[in-house]
Amino acid sequence: MRAIPFFLAAGLCAMLGAGAMLLGTRDVQAQQAVGTAAPEPQAAPAGTLSQSDIARMLPATDMGAGAARAGHPHQASMGDSPATPFDAASIPANPLAPDADAIGAKSCVACHAQENVQASHTLHVASFRAGAANTGPQAACESCHGPGSEHAKDPTAPGLIIAFTHDAKTSPQVQAGVCLACHAGGARQHWIGSIHQNRGLSCTDCHNPMARLSPEGVLAKSSINEVCATCHQDIRAKFNRRSHMPLPEGQMACTDCHNPHGSITRPLLKTDTVNETCYTCHAEKRGPFLFEHAPVRANCLNCHDVHGSNQQTLLVAPVPMLCQQCHTMTLHPNDLQSAANLGSGPFPDERLMGRACLSCHANIHGSNNPSGPKFHK
Amino acid sequence: MPAQKGNRTAPKALALGLLAGLFGTHSALAGDTSGSMRVGDMHYGNALDPSGWASMLHPADPDGTSYLHAGMLRTPTGALYPYPPQVDEGKPLGLGDWNYAGLLQLGYLHVGGDRNAEYFRQYADWKSGAVLGLFALEFHNRRTGQYVELRGSRLGGDDQYYRLRAGRYGSYRIEGFYRDMPHTVSTRAYPIWNGVGSTDLTLPAPLVAGASTPAQVAAASAAAPRRSLGLTRTRAGLGYEGVLYRNWIGSAAITNEKRSGTRLWGGSMFFNFPFPDNGGILETVRPIDFRTTDINLSLRNVGKLWRFLATYNGSFFRNHKDHLNFESPFALYNVVGTPQVADIKDGQFSLEPNNDYHNLRLDLTRELKWNGQFSVAGAWGTMRQNDALLPPTTCTGTGGIYIAPPADYTFQCANWNTTAALSQKSANARIDTGLFDARVTFRPTPAFGWHAGLRWYREDNKTRYLAYNPLTGQYGYISENGSQGSVVPGETGIFDPANPLYWSRNVTVRNVPFGYTDAILELGTDWQLGRKSSLGVTYTYDHNRPKYRERKRVDEQRIKFDWVSRDVIGATVRLSWEYAKRTGDKYNYDPYVPFFSRSLPGFVDPANGLPAHTVADMRKYDLSDRSESKARAIITYPWGESATLSATFYGNRDQYDALIGRQHTRTTGATVQWDWQPTPATTVNAYLGAETSRLGISNVNDADGPDNGAVFGTPEQVNPNLGGPLYPFANQWWELDRESNRNGGFSLRHDFGRVRADLRYDYNGSFGHVGYSYATIGALATRDPASVAAAAAGFPDNKYRANTLDLGLNFAVNRNLGVRLFGRYQTGAFSDWHYAGFDNTLSYDHRLYTDKGGQLHYSVSLVGVMLNLKL
Repeated sequence: MRAIPFFLAAGLCAMLGAGAMLLGTRDVQAQQAVGTAAPEPQAAPAGTLSQSDIARMLPATDMGAGAARAGHPHQASMGDSPATPFDAASIPANPLAPDADAIGAKSCVACHAQENVQASHTLHVASFRAGAANTGPQAACESCHGPGSEHAKDPTAPGLIIAFTHDAKTSPQVQAGVCLACHAGGARQHWIGSIHQNRGLSCTDCHNPMARLSPEGVLAKSSINEVCATCHQDIRAKFNRRSHMPLPEGQMACTDCHNPHGSITRPLLKTDTVNETCYTCHAEKRGPFLFEHAPVRANCLNCHDVHGSNQQTLLVAPVPMLCQQCHTMTLHPNDLQSAANLGSGPFPDERLMGRACLSCHANIHGSNNPSGPKFHK
Repeated sequence: MPAQKGNRTAPKALALGLLAGLFGTHSALAGDTSGSMRVGDMHYGNALDPSGWASMLHPADPDGTSYLHAGMLRTPTGALYPYPPQVDEGKPLGLGDWNYAGLLQLGYLHVGGDRNAEYFRQYADWKSGAVLGLFALEFHNRRTGQYVELRGSRLGGDDQYYRLRAGRYGSYRIEGFYRDMPHTVSTRAYPIWNGVGSTDLTLPAPLVAGASTPAQVAAASAAAPRRSLGLTRTRAGLGYEGVLYRNWIGSAAITNEKRSGTRLWGGSMFFNFPFPDNGGILETVRPIDFRTTDINLSLRNVGKLWRFLATYNGSFFRNHKDHLNFESPFALYNVVGTPQVADIKDGQFSLEPNNDYHNLRLDLTRELKWNGQFSVAGAWGTMRQNDALLPPTTCTGTGGIYIAPPADYTFQCANWNTTAALSQKSANARIDTGLFDARVTFRPTPAFGWHAGLRWYREDNKTRYLAYNPLTGQYGYISENGSQGSVVPGETGIFDPANPLYWSRNVTVRNVPFGYTDAILELGTDWQLGRKSSLGVTYTYDHNRPKYRERKRVDEQRIKFDWVSRDVIGATVRLSWEYAKRTGDKYNYDPYVPFFSRSLPGFVDPANGLPAHTVADMRKYDLSDRSESKARAIITYPWGESATLSATFYGNRDQYDALIGRQHTRTTGATVQWDWQPTPATTVNAYLGAETSRLGISNVNDADGPDNGAVFGTPEQVNPNLGGPLYPFANQWWELDRESNRNGGFSLRHDFGRVRADLRYDYNGSFGHVGYSYATIGALATRDPASVAAAAAGFPDNKYRANTLDLGLNFAVNRNLGVRLFGRYQTGAFSDWHYAGFDNTLSYDHRLYTDKGGQLHYSVSLVGVMLNLKL
């Protein structure tokens, strides 16, 4: 049995944690040193909602919002702010409320108190708050939901605030645009044109930044695999077949191989080809070998159903039938094996029993032996 | 990064500079470190808690996410979001802005019943004893967005994970992890050899290599103890991702993986089926002793117009056991009946060579007018290995068969059991890859968009190997370590232009450097039909040019329609249908002539000509003409305020234009799922699924015996045509694999206050039947009356079935302490005709198997009690 590194790991983690905290403390001190300059009040913009309007309609709110913003409100107060980088998030325009102004998070929270409780518990929103705490009220809620003045005037009218749920009038494109304003690039470099984008999915079909439902990734369910199975129920079922990758056992996630945010391959693989994805965990199959097996080198999916199979080792068909789809030649590979040739039959035949063809051609993924052109060496 | 104070000393400034480099800069513009592009390690969990976090989920907040409306909101598609858990504010850490929260879940697990059932423990190290359900500790700084997170779980020594993450949201993240993942291959293995797990399998006394009788082997097999085979992946890694400067974000990660254990393997000492009491077919056990080191680097820049991404992935695989030697217990006899001069009793496999892999990729994207985007990606990769080659054989003395002068088919092992017998000492194998991908997308109006894409990919195999023995001047190799040529005269694997016995032997003398170039053009457009519907059409042309394959060109055209509506009687419906047609140039059933000795000078055509390489009507299914259609419907229906009904219907039809080879496949399936969360305290889920699939092939037996044509060995053996003398219609056969899969289950969770109960049941059943038909009994492998009669019965059905019932109760003792009781009862059934008869014996004449396959029936129970301590 492997050595149990738990206590060692726990000790190490504790030390690392302490180190990070020390580093954090230093950051805080540094920020406190440089973060004292408050942004200059600036002139309120022309708008249809005055501060007094809002003040009448809402409970005690952060009414400094209008004063804090100028022509470019979210940029104006950045300067040398020590706030988290997400404090730079811009407030997206709402095509359905083009004249709306930002009113500040405290105004939002006046009504959306419970949302505030839940969302603040997520690191995503908490970080907005951390930024807003330093740079003014404009960040946080409206960085995703757009300027809220029109919504505040008529809270029940759909479309006046950017919303991300089923009844929202906001289009999926606008929803995704909001998220990509901060999350563009990297793993989402190829979102545009991806199958999920084309099928009208929104970021919030898979993510829910308003509550902590998952350990990370602000997912809409408690794990990546559950999120994917919301739509891909048939694929989830395949993972419960006789041979499968260890997703039901929690050892893997769909996103180990796929990038749901888009990639340059049709099945949203993270690498350039199917085989390169497989080689990542099965590096021994990469070779190259002295003697290659053509369908193996071309595409692992020629022989394997990676999501699950009723055959051994994820094969798409039982051996020897799998091999007999391609191999006909004299003497041995093209005989019809029948029930007579089972181990329980009158004439057991090694071409059918156990690993069948693979009993001899064991190096079927390629052989590096000078005597291995037929993969049995 | 924080301003450097002028009064700091130089060493301090240097140290802080290094830290900044390591942990990111803090005053940079917005950066996102959440997007990991690596393959693997995206999720940490185990069979006890697949989500890896379940015990951290507190009871649902009765207020949901809003006071403004009852129930939960739905995703844009229409699925309900789960009720959020009650918020744990955590505890303050000192007087600063740090809070912490955590959970320690410890307990005891008892496993009863058939705890070694293969399919019960395939990827879980279940065992009775103490378990660490979860250790989670999180520190957050509410002011700065900094965090430190620790998470770990331990089900067993081969099934555990620990991970540390720290960082500052939007700025940087560091991560370190360690994990063990088990994979059980067999729990009913009965290997007879000593040295299982090593590179040398030796026979235990009284067995003698090459001199044991089948009865002795059967006795040894029957006495062999049962053991489990499997492997463990042990992975450890470090990673960093963060803002480097302004909009530049970098990441670096290194992962080291060790795989250790055993797997089932083969062992061939020539056929047994045509030669009773001869040959040797062995199911052996190979060692797994791999180490893989991966290095992943990336640098990206995200601007308003341009987005740049550069990635480097390096992977370095090392196999610490590059071969497997095994002793074969069986004696070999030559089929001509002369005294056996050869003493071939050992076999050998080369195992996977070390390899190095590098891939460098650049992605560039630019925003365009009309809501457009242009994206281009280019990549270059190489995979290489130059491992020392093993000699062609390990035999000693004389191999082959001596009949009478001049029929001397012997060879001297000394001329082949040395690397001096090779034309090159190492593999010098290399495959380079190149990729170019460009795509442009425009949406000039909200109602209309189009896109175009071009992808080009090449795999260039540069490996070249000539099987030439400078010691003898002969070409070829030693087949099956010398056993084949010691049973059948001349089938040694050698071509010798100077020896009449070997100058007509058509053997492999060169490797085939398979590769391909693939170009894909895609054009697509979509229309927004009103606010809630869209229609898309995509045309794809895939032009593939394989190297050294039966076709030099394979073209596939595909058209796909998809329709999405968010309001079909309130439901979101996603429909797609696609049709593809694959064609190509002329199919050459034997493109491999240059790689066989018949292409070498001095090759003499045999008197009866060379047997046809294969039947000319064979069409390999990755190259054959094919028509394909696929349809899929995904429906999500919000059912009232608190339920969701979702369903999937799908089907594929593939028709291959092949008389011999794969002929058709078809899959039809449906799933239905109902999710209901009437109150924050109650969630219910039920699901059903069914899928059937068909795979049909045809093949033809060659006329290799007096009872099915007896053309092999005659001048007519050169005829490759189906319906010809070598491959007569009378010997054609058809096989149909039919599979049927059913699954279903339900789950219920209810919170009674101080007690939370959860109940779950899952059923999975798969049934497979391989049916066959044949023109005449000439198709059959064995054609005596007993075999023909047995063949008529057909294969028995295969099945795999599992029923799992889980029950859990959570008791809250006080605010910080809870107890979880849970149990699982699982039954399973398995049958696979590959293992038919193996429960009685693993020894069949000169065949010896190791694995009996999964348990035919099993039932197993888990009972556990866990203490949840809130930290």
